[in-house]
Amino acid sequence: MFNRFGKFVLPLFALGMLGFAVYHVMQAYQKPPKPQPPMEPARTPFSLAVAGAGIIEARSQNIALGSALPGVVLKVWSPEELGLPAQPGRTPWEALIGRHVKQGDPLFRVDDRQLKSQLAFHRANLKSAEAQLAKLDQMPRPEELTVSKAKEEVAQASMELQRDVAERDAKLIGSGSVNEEQYQQHRLSLRVAQRQLAQAKADMALVKAGSWEPDKAIARAAVELAKAQVLQDQTDIDRAVARAPMDGMVLQVNVRPGEFVGANPGQSLVVLGAITDCVNVRVDIDEHDIPRYRPGAPGMASFRGAPDQQYPLTFVRVEPYVIPKRSLTGDNTERVDTRVLQAIYSLKTEGKPVYVGQQLDVFLDVSEGANKPVAPPESTGR
Amino acid sequence: MSWIAIKMLTGDRAKYLGIVAGIAFAALLIAQQASIAIGLLMRTTSHIQDIADADIWVMDPNIQFIDELKPLTENDLYRVRGVPGVAWAVRFYKGQGRLKLDIGGDKKKAKYQQSVVFGIDDAALVGAPREIVLGKLADLRRPDAVMIDENGYRYVWPNEPLALGRELEMNDRRVVIVGICKASETFNTFPIFYCQYHQAIRYVPQERKVMSAMLVGVEPGEDAEEVCRRIQEQTALRPAKPGDPARPGLKAMTNQQFIDSTLMYFVRRTGIVVNFGITVSLGFFVGCAVAGQTFYSFTLENLRQFGSLKAMGLTNRRIVGMVLTQALLAGFIGYGLGVGGAALFGKAMTSSGSRLAFLMPWQVLAATAAAIFVIVLVASLVSVIKVLVLEPAVVFRG
Repeated sequence: MFNRFGKFVLPLFALGMLGFAVYHVMQAYQKPPKPQPPMEPARTPFSLAVAGAGIIEARSQNIALGSALPGVVLKVWSPEELGLPAQPGRTPWEALIGRHVKQGDPLFRVDDRQLKSQLAFHRANLKSAEAQLAKLDQMPRPEELTVSKAKEEVAQASMELQRDVAERDAKLIGSGSVNEEQYQQHRLSLRVAQRQLAQAKADMALVKAGSWEPDKAIARAAVELAKAQVLQDQTDIDRAVARAPMDGMVLQVNVRPGEFVGANPGQSLVVLGAITDCVNVRVDIDEHDIPRYRPGAPGMASFRGAPDQQYPLTFVRVEPYVIPKRSLTGDNTERVDTRVLQAIYSLKTEGKPVYVGQQLDVFLDVSEGANKPVAPPESTGR
Repeated sequence: MSWIAIKMLTGDRAKYLGIVAGIAFAALLIAQQASIAIGLLMRTTSHIQDIADADIWVMDPNIQFIDELKPLTENDLYRVRGVPGVAWAVRFYKGQGRLKLDIGGDKKKAKYQQSVVFGIDDAALVGAPREIVLGKLADLRRPDAVMIDENGYRYVWPNEPLALGRELEMNDRRVVIVGICKASETFNTFPIFYCQYHQAIRYVPQERKVMSAMLVGVEPGEDAEEVCRRIQEQTALRPAKPGDPARPGLKAMTNQQFIDSTLMYFVRRTGIVVNFGITVSLGFFVGCAVAGQTFYSFTLENLRQFGSLKAMGLTNRRIVGMVLTQALLAGFIGYGLGVGGAALFGKAMTSSGSRLAFLMPWQVLAATAAAIFVIVLVASLVSVIKVLVLEPAVVFRG
């Protein structure tokens, strides 16, 4: 009994156990098939590529409008005031977002009430100066002339009366009917009357001459001064209104009535950009990759979140200045890592979910034969 | 002649079983302890094994193993994407965050738990968990969403049913559990949190650079090791002195290379191998002693039979052949029982949900076989000398 167990069963059992061990090992070696990523990541479409992060901007770059004057915002223009279709139920500053405005269109106005009152004051000043000048221009006054003329005629008459008396006295002095004293008195009276006539004539001449030229020059200068003040006020009032410097789309409105805006730089109160059938993509190329990059290399871009769809990019230009890269981690403390070369590419917008400021994964083809002749930057774009 | 040898062996029941049991015990001890050691060591690489959808890991050149990832700049991602043969490259974040279990509660009573945070690429979710127990992978895109591994969940909330929607706090930020997934057992047993990259970097206090590593996919038809070499070449830095070789800029390793590198780190830097090595060698020596001693006494007892065979004119070579046959048969049976027992043990332990680490690669089988072979060889050699020097006449002197 044991003999059989020892000779056959035990070795067979051991063989079975070994078989189980081998099976166990094989099982442990069976690796699950290599999984694919849940979603295909952005793939390099070229055999030799330089990759970079891209950010969409308007073709004019994004223009952050500021305010020329600091102050409290009084008004934001609504689209209907600018001749655009109205959007009822929306505040003007909301309705303005995304609308195309034309060059010179007013967008918002800061507090100009003080400037307006100052303008009224200076206008009154101008009127006063102008009146002063007009008065000087209209001299002499006719009534004054009449008075002077009458005064002259009185003096003439008085002189003639005295002369008549004096002449008669001169004839009678020899006869002794007029004494010496009387004669002398009447002679002196004639001389007084003659001087009075001369005075009256001079007065008449003065009145007739009207105003003095230097006085008029002063009055004219005063008018000019007042005019300049009015003009200054008007310029200031105009400066209180921020206007679109070019045709473009309102990308962002950061200003609402009642808010205070300063004149400090870097405040983007309204962001404006020219968006046509294409936008620009600003591609950051790492400084280590600059030697491998050739300006003019064609590119492909894919949107974050949809790496499977890729869109062609056309070369526009390279910015000749290598700048410190701003880390695009989405963190508000932006950190400088390395320096990057920025190349500008153009992306057609039609039918794509394109927004200014959106980030893209960009691949640029630097393989041989991809270097198509590129038109000089002047003619390819702005 | 072999048949007589086998008959001789199995004839003595006690000795036969004794030899087999001794060898089986040695084989069991060697195979089982080695498998546990390997299982434990492999746990150090469980993160790399779980992230199987990437072909290549790209890291700082000084990285030796998964837990010492040194952050890289974001720009390196674009440099790697430009390397020929790279199909795609995505960000990857791995960090250790401190989890506050009681959100908004009493600060003094709140429980904290160290945990591993994985930040996977926001768009492609490369490295996402494969086996999801509860919830959907797409939910990972929700705000503050994380997935926790099942083991971690049971570790943090023992004896509670799996449930979604728990709110926690990490680095003063809200964390919502939207899914529970399976992940391999880890070495340090911390719960694993999967979340989107942009969230992960907020869950751990930040350094200046944040990207721990890049996961790279290789173009179909390209050799991963060749692409690794190209990545290292294209990102290399200028030599420190002219004439020197270029300094490495980034280190690129295939999954398997990174697993090996991580394993080697733990082999070199921890006592795991030494400790288990002691147990394994103990098994070896005990096996040697028990089997050798039993076999020796068995041979001594059968000296008469050998003597008569010798007297019948059997050559020494045939005698040695007989002894070796006996030894190898006993060795084989013992070996089969031993490794089979070890495999059964492993199977029973891992399927019963115990957290025992057990991994038996073929190398363990081969090494055990070699060890058992040495044991039976030593045992039979000691005995065979006695037979060889035996004078056949001794048998009849009795």
